[in-house]
Amino acid sequence: MSEDPQIRASKIVETYQPVAAHIVQATKLTDTEILLELRLGNGQSLGHGAGQFVQISMFGVGEAPISVCSSPTQTETFELCVRAAGNVTKALHRLEAGDWVGIRGPYGHGFPVEEMVGKDILIIAGGIGLPPLRPLINLVLENREQYGRLIIVYGARSPQDLLFTDELNLWATCDDVEFHLIVEEPDDKWQGPVGVVTVPLRKIDIEPAKTLVAAAVGPPVMYRFVAFELLQKGLPEDNIYFSLERRMKCGVGKCGHCQLNNLYVCVDGPIFCYSDLQGLEEAVEAWAPPTAEAGGKRREPGKGHG
Amino acid sequence: MSICVVEHDELHALVQRLIQQGPAMGPRERQQQPGFYYFDWLNSADELVLDYVTTTLPPKKAFFPPREPFLEFSRTDPAKVRSMTDEGPFVLLGVHPCDLAAIEQLDIAYSDNIADGRYLANRARTTAIIGVDCWPDEYCLCTSVGTEQARGSADLFLTPIQRGYLVEVRTPRGQELLGDSAQLPATDQDEADTAQFRREKQRRVTAKFATGVEQFADILAAGGLTEVWQEVADRCYSCGSCSLVCPTCFCFDINDDINLDLTTGARIRTWDSCQLPDFALVAGGHNFRGERWERVRHRWHRKFLYLYTQYGRPFCTGCGRCSRACTADINLVEVSNDLIAYAQRETQNV
Amino acid sequence: MKTQAKPRVAFFDFACCEGCQLEVLSLEEQLLEMIELVDIVTWREAMSEKSDEYDIAFCEGSITREADIERIKHIRETADILVSLGACATIGCHNALKNQFSMDEVLHIVYGDRAEWFDTISARPITAVVPVDYQVNGCPASLPEFVTVFKHILMGKEYKPPNQPVCVECKLKDNLCVYEKGMLCLGPVTRCGCDAICTSYGHACFGCRGLVDDPNLNAAQDVLAKYGLSVEEIVGKFRVYNNWPELSLEESHSDG
Repeated sequence: MSEDPQIRASKIVETYQPVAAHIVQATKLTDTEILLELRLGNGQSLGHGAGQFVQISMFGVGEAPISVCSSPTQTETFELCVRAAGNVTKALHRLEAGDWVGIRGPYGHGFPVEEMVGKDILIIAGGIGLPPLRPLINLVLENREQYGRLIIVYGARSPQDLLFTDELNLWATCDDVEFHLIVEEPDDKWQGPVGVVTVPLRKIDIEPAKTLVAAAVGPPVMYRFVAFELLQKGLPEDNIYFSLERRMKCGVGKCGHCQLNNLYVCVDGPIFCYSDLQGLEEAVEAWAPPTAEAGGKRREPGKGHG
Repeated sequence: MSICVVEHDELHALVQRLIQQGPAMGPRERQQQPGFYYFDWLNSADELVLDYVTTTLPPKKAFFPPREPFLEFSRTDPAKVRSMTDEGPFVLLGVHPCDLAAIEQLDIAYSDNIADGRYLANRARTTAIIGVDCWPDEYCLCTSVGTEQARGSADLFLTPIQRGYLVEVRTPRGQELLGDSAQLPATDQDEADTAQFRREKQRRVTAKFATGVEQFADILAAGGLTEVWQEVADRCYSCGSCSLVCPTCFCFDINDDINLDLTTGARIRTWDSCQLPDFALVAGGHNFRGERWERVRHRWHRKFLYLYTQYGRPFCTGCGRCSRACTADINLVEVSNDLIAYAQRETQNV
Repeated sequence: MKTQAKPRVAFFDFACCEGCQLEVLSLEEQLLEMIELVDIVTWREAMSEKSDEYDIAFCEGSITREADIERIKHIRETADILVSLGACATIGCHNALKNQFSMDEVLHIVYGDRAEWFDTISARPITAVVPVDYQVNGCPASLPEFVTVFKHILMGKEYKPPNQPVCVECKLKDNLCVYEKGMLCLGPVTRCGCDAICTSYGHACFGCRGLVDDPNLNAAQDVLAKYGLSVEEIVGKFRVYNNWPELSLEESHSDG
């Protein structure tokens, strides 16, 4: 480090310094989810890819990693869907149009959208898993002719928990979208199917070789069941992409909180190819599910790394 | 690189001069507990101890403080969100080879991929490092990880000899530090003293891995060691002391501290440890490393497998601080050798 | 925050030494900053005015009589936010030492032939009687945590007591480990948030802030036994502050 410290310091970007962003619109989606539309104060576009996330700051409370849920082609503003879980996200729920927050990012490795062109796209979303997949859905819809089938499976706890209901209605009525909606706890008015995402998934016929799957389905065990169903259908492991949740704190692969074996979810993910998670004992989402013994694909956790 | 000899009095004067020129951090003896040392800012050359065994915290605290406010903010004014000014340059004195190697590793990890600007800015304030060779104690394991002769980015490196120190001048900055100090040519006797010191140091390291680091990484990668991890976890408090005193650990947490006006405050980076129970807990409630034994395994995997694979060297420099700090007597070398022995037994049984 | 909307704060105490309130008073200048944000309407230890109308109640002490239960329930109903202040209110502290004896025995030891004049129940923290919104641990209450909790309340934030041992804060301060000085310390199993105040001043940790969520008592017993402590002595060491709920040290020790 023989370089003049002054020169060196001046070259260094402020890795953890957020830029101001203003709330254009705050829309309550459910009792626990709010949709924030934001515009960066510096006039720049966020420039995110589908599947990437930002660190949003409520100064005095802290930062939280939130997936960008608007299409990459929407450049003036971007959207974040926030579930009230901790202090930061609860504070975000109190925001109104005109308020400001801090934004760092976008961070992480998104979906391989280039690879997806020409393929059938199967999207599997559970609960709060829909927002990180929404940019991908929008991207496909915007360039519909570039892709094969678009199949969307979305499961929520109850009809009251459904996110983006306007869009769900749109997908349900589109001729070129195969949309499957399911809830676990129906109310009196619910007329659709009841259960978890694997129920409709089981019935869907796909051409394994030309189908790419993007899934974000909530608790780790649900990922395992989804993987099991997909592998049963003969889908190659290389064709499955999972969006994983970990404790992303710094966003740049330094602070260590989001490590998954040797990987940093904030840099190497949050979108991972299923085959890249094989043999990683901390990739609990990619463990074979308990019922998979019959399928003979069970691995012993704790054996091998990557 | 050149070599010269600086006598005791002359080195004392050099240190005194450096302290007068600007802040200098080095190992000092604890006044209340003689025989124990810590890195701190020096007021005079008399405070610097060059023949210390180890310190509680490693010298990384000079440029990577345990608790560092780095951003000030106002909740009402985006223009008042700004990075907090660094203090000026300083020099770091009396750093052992293991800690020199550790500083080099932190530099590598923090510069890799998306560089950590905050760390690098602070690190750049370290305008000089003077290293010194040392005698090991029963916890030191430098010979197992190949750091016993590490020099890292030391500008000067001192080896104690009969008439003072044999000084390796490793950089132009090192030459500049020596300035007008009398630099005597090293005699055959001085060279022999130095060689003797190094041989003796090597001989005194008794804590040793039963395999090389490459084989050890293979053993960890092969897995199947859950029984050993669980046995260690039975004794482990999950107190995080091992990683909080580690010279190569670089995990941290970020939190906001607001003032009593409830408007202004600072964002703070604090050292964190993967051994603490909530390290991998997410807002949704799932703890991705909730079991104590998984955290123990992660510590070894991180040091001797993941970062070893990534950077070609284990992220352990053999300083032994983790073993000294563990009140439950979990010893890095003993556990590592238990793992090696277990793996070898398992292989034989197959 | 507008002046007329200032939340009203009351301090109350139950069985305790009132040292936590004294500790809060020692905040001095910081206390002046705090009363810019709130109105203190009741605080027997610090002022003569009082009021039955308050929004935030800080309660020190343990519940040791039937009448205390009614009183704390009333405070709980009146206050929007109830805070247990200090070890007696949060984990039972020394008060709960008496629970090892029968209440009859306790009354006779303390009051002799006047025992029947008094009533007593097993001592318990406030947290065991009514739900509390915030906790401040420590004996006396840890000031850094008190100020943090105060700020969290006013900002409408939840406060989760840190689930890390005192070792963390002690290490960050570059203290020499108490064990290196040949002293026994409960720091490795005790919840931090005190800024390691005792160990920073050369003392050992006595565990006044209660145990972390998942303490490895197995490790603690091994370590303390290594220093020559009998099981009874180890239990005694823990019992100075940690009596509620009843510790199961003896049981777990017999396994190992």
